[in-house]
Amino acid sequence: MQIIYTDVLVIGGGLAGQRAAIGAKRRGHDTIVLSLVPAKRSHSAAAQGGMQASLANCLGGAGDNEDIHFQDTVRGSDWGADQEVVRMFTHAAPKAIRELAAWGVPWSRVERGDHEITVDGEKQTISENEAAHGLITGRNFGGTQKWRACYVSDGTGHAMLYTMSNRAIAEGIPVHERMEAVALIHDEGRCSGAIVRNLMTGEILAYVAKATCIATGGFGRIYRASTNAIINEGMGAAIALETGRATLSNMEAVQFHPTGIFPSGILVTEGCRGDGGLLLDANGHRFMPDYEPKKKELASRDVVSRRMEQHIAAGQGVKSRFGEHLWLDIRLLGREHIDRNLREVKEICQYFLGIDPAKELIPVRPAQHYSMGGVRTNPNGESQGLRGLFAVGEAACWDIHGFNRLGGNSVAETVVAGMIVGESIADFCDSADGSINVSTALVEKFARKQTQQLANFTLASGTENAFDLTRQMQETMTSKVGIFRHGDQLQEAVNTLQNLLLRSRNINLRSATRGPNPELVAAYRLPRMLKLAQCVALGALQRTESRGAHYRDDYPQRNDLEWMQRTLAVWSEAKDELPTLSYEPLSIMRMELPPGWRGYGAKDYIEHPESALRRQEIDRIIATMPDADRHAHQAALMPFLDKLPPHLRPLNQRLSKF
Amino acid sequence: MNNIPLAEEHRMLQIQILRHNPSALLCDSDKGSHLQTFEVEEALGMTLFIALNEIREEQDPSLQFDFVCRAGICGSCGMIINGRPGLACRTLTKDLPDVIVLAPLPGFELIGDLSVNTGKWMRGMSEHLETWVHNQELEEINIDVIEERMEPRLAEQIYELERCIECGCCIAACGTTQMREEFVGAAGLNQIARFRLDPRDKRSDADYYELIGNDAGVFGCMTLLGCEDMCPKNLPLATQIAFLRRRMAMTTG
Amino acid sequence: MNRKLNLWPARLDLLQSLSGLALVVFVWCHMFFESSILLGKDAMLWVTKMFEGEHFFGEPYPLLVSAIAGIIFLLVALHAILALRKFPSSYRQYHRFHLHMNGLHHSDTTLWYLQVITGFLLFFLASTHLYTVLVQPDNIGPYASSDRIWSGRFWIMYALLLLSAHLHAGAGAYRLAMKWGPASLTGSKAARHKLKTAMWCIIGFFLILGAASLATYMKLGYDHRDHIGERYMPSSHQVQQE
Repeated sequence: MQIIYTDVLVIGGGLAGQRAAIGAKRRGHDTIVLSLVPAKRSHSAAAQGGMQASLANCLGGAGDNEDIHFQDTVRGSDWGADQEVVRMFTHAAPKAIRELAAWGVPWSRVERGDHEITVDGEKQTISENEAAHGLITGRNFGGTQKWRACYVSDGTGHAMLYTMSNRAIAEGIPVHERMEAVALIHDEGRCSGAIVRNLMTGEILAYVAKATCIATGGFGRIYRASTNAIINEGMGAAIALETGRATLSNMEAVQFHPTGIFPSGILVTEGCRGDGGLLLDANGHRFMPDYEPKKKELASRDVVSRRMEQHIAAGQGVKSRFGEHLWLDIRLLGREHIDRNLREVKEICQYFLGIDPAKELIPVRPAQHYSMGGVRTNPNGESQGLRGLFAVGEAACWDIHGFNRLGGNSVAETVVAGMIVGESIADFCDSADGSINVSTALVEKFARKQTQQLANFTLASGTENAFDLTRQMQETMTSKVGIFRHGDQLQEAVNTLQNLLLRSRNINLRSATRGPNPELVAAYRLPRMLKLAQCVALGALQRTESRGAHYRDDYPQRNDLEWMQRTLAVWSEAKDELPTLSYEPLSIMRMELPPGWRGYGAKDYIEHPESALRRQEIDRIIATMPDADRHAHQAALMPFLDKLPPHLRPLNQRLSKF
Repeated sequence: MNNIPLAEEHRMLQIQILRHNPSALLCDSDKGSHLQTFEVEEALGMTLFIALNEIREEQDPSLQFDFVCRAGICGSCGMIINGRPGLACRTLTKDLPDVIVLAPLPGFELIGDLSVNTGKWMRGMSEHLETWVHNQELEEINIDVIEERMEPRLAEQIYELERCIECGCCIAACGTTQMREEFVGAAGLNQIARFRLDPRDKRSDADYYELIGNDAGVFGCMTLLGCEDMCPKNLPLATQIAFLRRRMAMTTG
Repeated sequence: MNRKLNLWPARLDLLQSLSGLALVVFVWCHMFFESSILLGKDAMLWVTKMFEGEHFFGEPYPLLVSAIAGIIFLLVALHAILALRKFPSSYRQYHRFHLHMNGLHHSDTTLWYLQVITGFLLFFLASTHLYTVLVQPDNIGPYASSDRIWSGRFWIMYALLLLSAHLHAGAGAYRLAMKWGPASLTGSKAARHKLKTAMWCIIGFFLILGAASLATYMKLGYDHRDHIGERYMPSSHQVQQE
């Protein structure tokens, strides 16, 4: 067996993984990126709409700053986020976007003078300032107070990913393509690389590394209706879970995007609504203002998705042979705007629906979109259960999204966290903890286990079909662990998944082809996906409240009193049928923004007494500093700068003032 | 208006796939390269993505092909569809005849069946043409201050060329690359056009000439225009190549 | 930065295009001159005399025609050598291109292959034609040419030459416009479509013009078959010359 030695092993070649790899490499550490597919085909490319960063350049973004971005993100998370990390994130986001601008991303720019925009179905004219001409512009997105989503037409993720990949190539970082990490090598709580399967040849090899970083994105494919790419099966999080050491957190926090094309689930960007698009029902009625008079179509994604499903349940959906859906109307934006700023949307409508969105309505229904949960990490990106293991991006629960992510915060997280985690990986490698003492015996032990498991599939006289079981899992997740959740159904889902996991040990392969055997791939990924699915289902069952995207119709209130907690899941023993859940409290008394009403969605929640106490305390602290600026106030409430690498600490310059 | 077409139409499609598994050659009963026919009942809104997955799940689990985003944006699923390169995920079967012949993209290393190693080719192209912003000062950029300005129109023009998804269709559609493997193709030339347009890249025409001023570069293009006609993203490839040809022919060193 | 760039690839590419362009212009002009026969024998003779310099120097210098033929011959040779670089150079390349073209059904690709074939034919056809003119520059005229075409059985070669030369020249002109702009400048499919339509119209026009001229020469040659070698005298000078 081939063993490859490197300083840093990054598993996943999307935006987050490549940014972290660049950071580590620039600090002088040999870095290898593993990717299931060519890096530029990673799912990051699918982010169409934008990246949130409080640049405050365009008129709609005037007055924006880290504080407002922070508030929006925490409210969006329904107070599930780690507020210190949100601060780190909002502070570094303008830096990340400016770095990418220098590296070559062709961000859309502010153009001086009059522009016609669509707000609330009405045309309005705004006039951009001369002073902002040529600076990076932003667009309106759900759940934000300012126009903050910086974009590149509607190919933001694509442009970012290509620039990032090109940068990684320039830095000489090898990307080993079509390689899948199937197990983490670890001993006594220290991770030291991964066992990897070459998807082209079927060969098993080992990568031994001082630091291993998981950046494999989300696990949307455990659902049937998902906007995710088909590679998003969560294998990185799953192999972390299988160590029995690393914890996953908030796995029940799964986001559903309001505008998945019906029925294929292909995403059309939130930019459609940000730019003025409307949601209509079977009668052509714009229903969102009835539910959300203030933010309307631009409430946060969890709220809009829920309202849409609620409206369909009320009999207002459009009936079709595939089921019911609603309409997205962007006709009012005009052909020119669509051709210029929503071209990918136009192409998707044209190719998959055969319609022209400038003239016709787009059939949409919420579909699984994002995994807020993932490998639980410290603010520096290191796993809380396994030393030497890091995680970044959607695969991680760094926790800026809590129970609901804002549109545009995901690509922002990838590059911001990538910047920060890349540095902390380098710090780790430089420190005494960085050195490893790995015997080839250990490596071979892990490799043998994988080889044995794979061989079992081809030898066993099982009766189950991997594709069928996968479909059953996806169906279960979509129908029982979806937007509206209920205790009974969740219990059924847990039982079904448990049963599927047992059956998955009895899979029979019809094809014994060597090399890249797609059926074998489905067979060995299935149990891992089932374990993730079980973390989601069991987490949802046990969380008897509604928070962000997690909505229990038997417990419709957010319950701060009992559930200011982050769910942690471990899979202690390989033979276990269920994960072991525990809870990590969120300390309200240390929050900069104590829990309250989000400003949209239900106002009804069970308050924790500490929330009022903390608010009083905050008022008192602010009152003692009459002459201080916002930065001083912030530092007094919840200092965070020391957690950032030194070069990311300076203040961000804006047009108005620092 | 606005209804998903409800026409009931259930053709039986004959999908003929060029099968070949190079890594299985050493063993088993490999039949070498051959055309295998699968029958699939057409469904409403069926794409080749759906049809191929159905074949794999129900008829032949060893069938290899590549899909990632299945939404026409990642460029993984380029293949030859009835003679012409295209993205399989967004090709609707209703636009195709009863017999559909699928083959892997030529010009790339074959992994197996319909799966080819476009990633390796594209990475090689990127390394060879150095498709990144070259700027001596990049190491010292200050990311705390307001970014450099750029004309909005210019940003749009750069994005226009940045839209390439490296699917390889232009390479498969190009007679020149089919004959001469060293030719960088439209995908490569478009990258040079993109960085040449970008004021952040400080390279001069002489620098670009060193990369593409030869018969493996812009002067190798014989203007067969297959790239322009078969680009799934409708990139203005012929315009860009003509532009580069003029600039490179005028370069004096 | 003082680097030594190898500018030869650029020069050769430019030279291939320029030599092609010059030949296209020549071939098209040539058509108008030779088709002067459609206006009558006198018109054709006038054109012949013009090339022999008689209108300028008072007496004919057929060597001038030889000189022009020589220059064109060199141009053809230059263009051929440069273009040869682009031809399939091995069976493998030839085979791959064929597979590619047959699957693709793409007119511009097929058109290029047609240029390869016609280019190959033109090696022989154009060379033969030019050689004839080069060594017998005085053997051009209403009867001289007609006799060669009919009684000398050159019409077979001229018919092939006509077809090959115009397909090659028309397609070449279109390709040149796409290769260097300005036709590709607009980037619009409509502009290209127009250009391509224009190409077919031009090819069609010259083929008709050429075929009509050739038929006329053949008719003249047929009628004149018993007087081979006799030269045509302009109608105004016939008596005087005799």
